[in-house]
Amino acid sequence: MLYRVSAAWARVELWCASFLAVCVTLLVLLNVVTRTTGNALFWVDELAIYAMAWMTFLGASAALHHRSAVSVTLLPDAVSPGLKSALLKTVDIVIFVFSLSMVWFCWLWFLPLDIAHAGFDVSTFQSKTFNFIYAEPTSTLGVQKYVFWIVMWLFALGAALHSTMHLISGPETKA
Amino acid sequence: MSPVVFLTALFISVPVAIVLIITSIWYIWESGNTVLYDSFVQKMFAGLENYGLLAVPLFMLTGELMNEGGMTKRLINMARVFVGGFRGGLAYINLLANMFMAAIIGSATAQIAVMSRAMVPAMEEEGYDRGFAAATTAAGGLLAPVIPPSMMFVIFGVLAQVPIGDMFIAGIIPGLLLSLAFVLVITLIGWSQQFPKGTWMPLRDAKHALIGALPALLIPVAIIGGILFGVTTPTESAAIASLIAFLVGWLVYKELKPNQLGEMFKRTAVNASMIIFMISAASVFGWVIIYEEVPQRLAGLITAITSDPFMFLLIVNATLLLAGMVIDGIAAIILITPILLPIATGNYDISPYQFGVVICLNLVLGLLTPPVGIGLYIASSMSETLPGAILRALWPFLLAVAAVLILLSYFPSLSTMLI
Repeated sequence: MLYRVSAAWARVELWCASFLAVCVTLLVLLNVVTRTTGNALFWVDELAIYAMAWMTFLGASAALHHRSAVSVTLLPDAVSPGLKSALLKTVDIVIFVFSLSMVWFCWLWFLPLDIAHAGFDVSTFQSKTFNFIYAEPTSTLGVQKYVFWIVMWLFALGAALHSTMHLISGPETKA
Repeated sequence: MSPVVFLTALFISVPVAIVLIITSIWYIWESGNTVLYDSFVQKMFAGLENYGLLAVPLFMLTGELMNEGGMTKRLINMARVFVGGFRGGLAYINLLANMFMAAIIGSATAQIAVMSRAMVPAMEEEGYDRGFAAATTAAGGLLAPVIPPSMMFVIFGVLAQVPIGDMFIAGIIPGLLLSLAFVLVITLIGWSQQFPKGTWMPLRDAKHALIGALPALLIPVAIIGGILFGVTTPTESAAIASLIAFLVGWLVYKELKPNQLGEMFKRTAVNASMIIFMISAASVFGWVIIYEEVPQRLAGLITAITSDPFMFLLIVNATLLLAGMVIDGIAAIILITPILLPIATGNYDISPYQFGVVICLNLVLGLLTPPVGIGLYIASSMSETLPGAILRALWPFLLAVAAVLILLSYFPSLSTMLI
């Protein structure tokens, strides 16, 4: 069950990441066209960078489902199958701890309960917590930056989902 | 404890990016500076806010498009026109085609995969030893990260904060030098083994081959010309290159269909996110490097051994050859640049361009050396040759790369002359 949820979520992540790769390409091309015609659009670069950041974190989370991230496999490849599966289980535990830390760090940064307690009033929240996350603007887009930072939640929760799946299912789970 | 956590996690095969992140988490915990956790995720995001990084997915896309777009065989045909008639013609064709490809594709593994499939069977058919054919192709792939555009240079440029366009230009002479070294190797082997005779193409066919390859050549012209003349940034030239690759593959060569694009963008997203995520992880790992003053400490050790920049580069080369054998090249660049670059520029007054060219070429060698030489295994599986057979024929090429590395380390002007 959990495997199916994780696989379905990884598919969504990859679909979104592919779409964002299209966006990155089109935005940079748009930049070339507008710049050569003398009508440079100042917001395109920043948007392209955020699209790339979203693509990266969604893709990185999906890579945890597929176990496709770059790693040094010298040792697991050299040891007996029994020891290898023990090592890979340890890796699953490490990645699980990593993903929980990411969720915790997102919590520390976004402080969702505190902003709710402040009635979603940013200035009350800031005077209480000295956390200025909800006030930081983007340079050119006219949107608050936390809108783009939300991808870190998606990454943290996606990583938590995929790593929990690997932790409780056997090593024979198909990637 | 942090170094123990780092090495243990790395060697039990935790993904490299996550190794960097958990080492940083551990280090912050140990040093009691836990207020950094509040901005940990922000730092990871901020590590990606770099315009130059946009070139990574775009160059990958260009590679994907030209793999599917029928450009490889046209470039091989064009190479045939120039060097096909010499004894050992196909070996030179292989090398020349690899040079053209290197000017379009930025990644050695991608290039080795495409070229092995295209060249090894053709060379074997004409009577070359299969191991030698695969070794020539694999060595040719090493040109990809040196001849612009190069994925490794993009990443080095971002980390070292030097203009990526200048980094590309710095790679031109080293790339030609490396090609020349490979030509010498092939010629020397040809003398001892009597390669099959080549045949020159009839004039009509040659004209046909040249015209066929012209549209594909638009890509390197757009990339290198755009950067050299300052018309486009490397990121923009990468986008233009992908557009040309698509239009040529679709409308001119008619081998690419728009409905293949979805799958290509997916592969681009998967591969690019893997690399860019490592850069994000490296930005939090930067805390560890800075607070622990790793470069300063290491500099203290190395400057006690030598004050000569050339000796320093030789030591770096020897160390990185070992590192490149176990760690993927791009991961190694991400790990090593923040530590060694300040020493190279600060203590030894080495140009960042020279340093970048030397470490990128050095680390890419790891692709062809066991135990984790991905390039070697790709060449092996694509050409159905045993890795051992390729390695036996590969060592003269590896020696040639080592010689070029020494030259590049000794003469800084080879890298900095054109900038």
